[in-house]
Amino acid sequence: MFERFTKDARAVVEGAVGHAEQAGAGQVEESHVLLALLDREGTRGSFALAALGLTPPRRQTVVRALDEARRRGGLSRADADALSDLGIDLSAVVSRIEETHGEGALAPAAKSGGWGRRPFSRGAKALLSQSLRTAVAHRDRHIGDEHLLLALTARPGTPAEVLADHGVTYDSLAKVLYGDGEARAAG
Amino acid sequence: MTEATDLAERAGDRDPRIGLRAVAALRRLLEQLEAVQVRSARNQGWSWQEIAAELGVSRQAVHKKHGRQ
Repeated sequence: MFERFTKDARAVVEGAVGHAEQAGAGQVEESHVLLALLDREGTRGSFALAALGLTPPRRQTVVRALDEARRRGGLSRADADALSDLGIDLSAVVSRIEETHGEGALAPAAKSGGWGRRPFSRGAKALLSQSLRTAVAHRDRHIGDEHLLLALTARPGTPAEVLADHGVTYDSLAKVLYGDGEARAAG
Repeated sequence: MTEATDLAERAGDRDPRIGLRAVAALRRLLEQLEAVQVRSARNQGWSWQEIAAELGVSRQAVHKKHGRQ
């Protein structure tokens, strides 16, 4: 599969590993792939983000939103809503834990693996396969960073929610990348 | 709220997806809470045996899960 990745897509995958290392995370997660995508300029993915209003200077708000989600223990807003249906106020839980254990206590613990290559999480691996399917669905021969971006928005979870909050959804991306006609092509 | 919307809302609550989603979210929260509490206990010098007893699991289970932190 990797031989079909463009130089830009490979750079994103490499960048995701770098973000995971920088964060001291034990695994490369989908959010690290998003952070790496936000770093890129002059690529198809970057063009699509900019076309939807996320020009490079504005991407910092996405980074902050991801940080916020991390502080909630990596639980997405949909998770928070589901818990609230059970009568559990996630933000109250987070504040109580932070009162006792310090700020960011609920953020997934960095398993200090030290050096060496970090494995991709199950979600991040699924994201890579999804990017392949997305490319195939659009009859693109190569997997570019735009396919990684499309795949991120097609999967449930925090990265897709944060992107949607900034107007970046599968449909809006497909529209700027492929035009109206193909906006509904399967991902 | 009218009776119709009230009924519609309660019918919606029976959608299994809502309940399952809540369970999955609760499990994720539980995992994070457990990690926080185990780390805190270890920092205060608790043994794996003591932590396991409080959690109601075996010492091996808790060590395997949290041992590298």
